Amino acid sequence: MSDIAPGLQTALADSPHYEFVSNHLSLLLSSYPPPFIFIHDPETVRLTASLVQSTLHGLASKSPTSGESQIKYACVNAVACFSPRILYDTALNALAGWTPDWRDGATNWHGSGAEARRYNENFDAFVHGIQTIAAGADNAGENAQTNGAGKGKGKAKEQGAPPNRRLVLVVERAERLKDNLPELVVPLTRLGELSQVDITTLFLSEVQWQDIRLPLRASPEPYYIDVPFLIKQDTQELLASAYPSPPAESSTSAVDVDAYHPALKPLYTHFIATLCSTCSPFTHDPIELAYIAAARWPGFIQPVLDAHRGLLKEEEIASSAEDGDADGKHEPHELQPPTEDTRLRLIRLFTPSFTAALESLYPRLSNAMDWARVHAPPVDLLLMPPGHAPEALAAQVVTNAASLNTQHGPTEAGIEALPRMAKFVLVAAFLASTNPARSDLRMFGRGLDERSKRRKRKVGTPRKPKPGTTGTAVKIPQRLLGPTTFPLDRLIAILGVLLEENDADTRPAAPQYTVSGEYTEMEIARVALHANIVELASMRLLVRTSPPDSLDRVPMFKCGIGYELAIKLAKSLGIILNDLVYEVV
Amino acid sequence: MDSVEIRTPKHLLTTLKRSLGSPAPRGSTHIPPLGTPRLPPAAPGSPTKHALPLPPASALRQRRLRTPSPEPVRPPLVSLSHTARKAAAASPSKRQRNQASQRTEEGLPRDLPDHLHPLLERQKRAILKALQQPPEIDEIEVYGEDYPPTNTNAYEQLSDLLMGSVVRGEGNSCLLIGPSGSGKTQMVERAITALPTTPIVVRLSGYAQHNDRLAIREIAWQLAQQTGTSFLPAESDEEDEEDAADPPATVEQEASGETLEEEGDDDENPFVDHAPAAPSSLVEPVITLPPPSHLLALISMIPTLPRPTVIVLDGFDLFASHARQALLYCLLDTAQSCRTGTGAGSGMAVVGVTARVDTINILEKRVKSRFSGRMIRTACPTKLDHWITLAKAALGAPCTGENAEDVEEWAEIWNKAVPQFMEDERVVEALRDVYALTRDFQIFRRIMTCLTLELTDISPYPTLKMLKAAISRQRCPARYPPLNTLPYPAICLLIAQVHAQTSGHDVFTFEMLHDAFKNQVRTSQAAPVQIQGGGVGMAFERLVDLRIFLPAASPATSVAKEFALHRCAVDRFAVKKAVEQMGQLNLRKWLTKS
Ligand SMILES: Nc1ncnc2c1ncn2[C@@H]1O[C@H](COP(=O)(O)OP(=O)(O)OP(=O)(O)O)[C@@H](O)[C@H]1O
Ligand SMILES: [Mg+2]
Repeated sequence: MSDIAPGLQTALADSPHYEFVSNHLSLLLSSYPPPFIFIHDPETVRLTASLVQSTLHGLASKSPTSGESQIKYACVNAVACFSPRILYDTALNALAGWTPDWRDGATNWHGSGAEARRYNENFDAFVHGIQTIAAGADNAGENAQTNGAGKGKGKAKEQGAPPNRRLVLVVERAERLKDNLPELVVPLTRLGELSQVDITTLFLSEVQWQDIRLPLRASPEPYYIDVPFLIKQDTQELLASAYPSPPAESSTSAVDVDAYHPALKPLYTHFIATLCSTCSPFTHDPIELAYIAAARWPGFIQPVLDAHRGLLKEEEIASSAEDGDADGKHEPHELQPPTEDTRLRLIRLFTPSFTAALESLYPRLSNAMDWARVHAPPVDLLLMPPGHAPEALAAQVVTNAASLNTQHGPTEAGIEALPRMAKFVLVAAFLASTNPARSDLRMFGRGLDERSKRRKRKVGTPRKPKPGTTGTAVKIPQRLLGPTTFPLDRLIAILGVLLEENDADTRPAAPQYTVSGEYTEMEIARVALHANIVELASMRLLVRTSPPDSLDRVPMFKCGIGYELAIKLAKSLGIILNDLVYEVV
Repeated sequence: MDSVEIRTPKHLLTTLKRSLGSPAPRGSTHIPPLGTPRLPPAAPGSPTKHALPLPPASALRQRRLRTPSPEPVRPPLVSLSHTARKAAAASPSKRQRNQASQRTEEGLPRDLPDHLHPLLERQKRAILKALQQPPEIDEIEVYGEDYPPTNTNAYEQLSDLLMGSVVRGEGNSCLLIGPSGSGKTQMVERAITALPTTPIVVRLSGYAQHNDRLAIREIAWQLAQQTGTSFLPAESDEEDEEDAADPPATVEQEASGETLEEEGDDDENPFVDHAPAAPSSLVEPVITLPPPSHLLALISMIPTLPRPTVIVLDGFDLFASHARQALLYCLLDTAQSCRTGTGAGSGMAVVGVTARVDTINILEKRVKSRFSGRMIRTACPTKLDHWITLAKAALGAPCTGENAEDVEEWAEIWNKAVPQFMEDERVVEALRDVYALTRDFQIFRRIMTCLTLELTDISPYPTLKMLKAAISRQRCPARYPPLNTLPYPAICLLIAQVHAQTSGHDVFTFEMLHDAFKNQVRTSQAAPVQIQGGGVGMAFERLVDLRIFLPAASPATSVAKEFALHRCAVDRFAVKKAVEQMGQLNLRKWLTKS
């Protein structure tokens, strides 16, 4: 149902911070709910979503007393439900308690017996489906659930007068509705009115309702529930109380079995406190922090476990040396929480790696598993002299990385492997995309006599007014605004200059070319060059902006690489890029 | 008598009654018994200062046995009041309680005795119910010489019109116009339920039925639902009888009737528009769609149905945007001819509901000429007293319970608490402020709902503070999270954006902000050095997610993400405030740097 770790989920359920939300919600939904509720949570929307689900689950599993309604609910995620049909089917399946079964062709809920029909056809059909469910005529779904066969075709037996049903439809990430299914926003918010049944729509989003609703106020105003902001202290407590239970013996996880030993919980609390104080300036999201913690903790605790194992081994040796009455009298040494001293040492050792973890894990440049593997500490870190430990740690990371071969990103390696001509093309493309076309003559124009000499340009354009002195806005360098498009001709022309100035000397001698520049002219007219350009475009290192199928127009391109990469390429070709860029960085 | 021994809730009960002046429950102010030591009065709503001493365990158990509370049982508060603690220390066997510490000046027990907690829950439910189904109020008193209010008037007009159709078999049409949330939909429903006989009701909504085809399907479906299986045969019989009396549409009508009959057994298939093979398992014939050319013919046979029909068109203005306004034309034409007819057949009423005041002008001429022109207006309550009376009535909704004594005790307390709250000048003032901004009835309801949900065992009475909190939550919920709670890199980007704006660039790319940020880090050495691209990029995406940065151009595949144009939705003053709240000197310096 949700992608949140079970530990975090239970911690969440007990958190006093969220009590307010779940109390309000359960009181409302079990008494007289407004037809449309909006829950706004800018910070921790995924946690809130799981909380709402568990609240609803609690309400739905309660058997109603007299006068109360039986609650049935459906949670749909507006990201996953990107088309109306998917949304209708997901909602109806959940409301009817129907699980599509593979053996059955994975059909969606379609009512029972005589009423069987498609309910995902359009909004009206969806409403009819809801009416059917609300009237309690969806027993087929329930039967299928109970006998597990998922057949659902069998005639349902009425089980007396069923209690009233109250349906709840939760839409998570509701802000996506506005982009994907704008025509559904209003009908969903008016679902109760349109279907004439007891149904409450609950939108959950990190964006306020004002930014989701359509203009002209066609939707009713919701009842607002604002989730309070989770302060740092609360985040810490939440994460610390989400200490995972030790993995089952049989589990195949890469984490050490003892890593989440109950004796280590106090240390974990300290660990979380340090982690939070280093990382919380960058993200407050408990889920992200928990992710980082999960990546770092096994390595962090490894030295303690190593020390413990060492102790065990010593004991074993000692007891076997004692020999004699070694009939298992020795209780195996229990894992002890580490001393205060050890704790401080560990924290000092590992704190720098917290930021490293944040940097690569928060943007998901790496995943927790790989990261943990690369950053695993050397064996018996605690036995090393304190002065050497940090270096040993750093050295270990380098060796780990080398052995796991994750040092280079794939793009970098690919670029290194490009042919020399392609690199020239890319640099030329960067220049063409960055310099204004009118500057080309100034930048690249060479008199007859200076054909092979580079003209030094004065740094800084003289015409540029001082910022703020004129009424106009300060000019922003093109490199920050993104690449501009250029026609193929211009690319070729610039490429010619680059080649003439930087490549001519490296070519094999060709006595047949007598006029200076003729050899270059020849080079840039080769078919291979055009093939190169097309290939670069297919790699998206060049971006073709004109339609690929038009023959009569000059193809237009745009540079696909950034400044840093361009500098690197230029350097490898011996070009000083900054001299050729119109606006100096 | 300055202290009373309590052992059981029974004792507590009698105590409370006595001190509330039980024999004369009207007593508005509480006069404490002589010699009662008074504690300094505390503002209502500061609940935890003086709490009930832990009731003896036996009492607790008893209470649980008697009324299982639906909420998780809170542990009773243990912060004993000073005197009580002393007393308890003096004689631990005889817990003593100071009466005065338990009540506010007005005579409400500051802390609700445990056995009344379930009743608070019930009261909350009763209030929520009353808010959902507003109690009748004495409008004559509220409105004085302005009586009757618009909605009462409108209701009467609407009822008359529906009566004409349902009882006398007329064909009628009208338009219900009023601002959103002024009770239009609710009024229509009320008027329909109040009719002496149950008509066939077809409810359409311009929000759901985006075109006439969908609308016709829905009409067909609803008609079939309400007229049942016997509908089709009966239909054609009736038609034969009434042939002569019917308006010229009859030929078409007959055709449609037959088509319907023939295809009566067909199921609807989403991929084929009409006449798919019917699954033989179907027992109940479902009405299906005649071919599109005959769709509208379905409407013209509505007057021939056995019962009168009411057609409600919510979002009437949206139907006017359908092609050629065909559906509206047919409906109104049928209604009109029904009126001009001899009165044979059942009546028909078309009720348009809309919030758009110029709806009549967007009707095409031929449609308009078939519309009766009756426009009924609704409005939100025009007097603040309406709200206040309703608030009083809702809050004072009677609640029931199993234990009559408890209920009585609770009612006594509650009936004091409500007037005390509602007669507070500041409460009325707060409501007036809201009312001055919007007369929307629903906002009032939301505020009251929020207020009700806030009542807890610890602070069981509505207070001004709660009301204010409820108002700010429901009236103008904050659009963005407080900016100072954003992550550090996000604030940096906001500051960079402010600088970009100052230099004349309202529209920016990520690279621009990132460049400014890097420069700042380089020149000032102040920002935390460990931030690299990742954190800043994520912060930018976060701001986009929160709609603080809005895309300024439609996304194109050829534009890389870091060069997509954005603009900022918060102004520099908000950023400035956030930076000040964060209190980081280097950020403030950067912001004020020119
Ligand atoms: N004067 C009133 N007295 C009591 N309740 C009212 C009044 N006005 C509105 N309400 C309440 O407001 C709620 C919303 O009204 P309703 O949905 O009928 O508005 P509407 O005019 O149909 O709005 P919309 O144009 O958005 O459809 C109803 O539940 C109704 O109980
Ligand atoms: Mg309405």
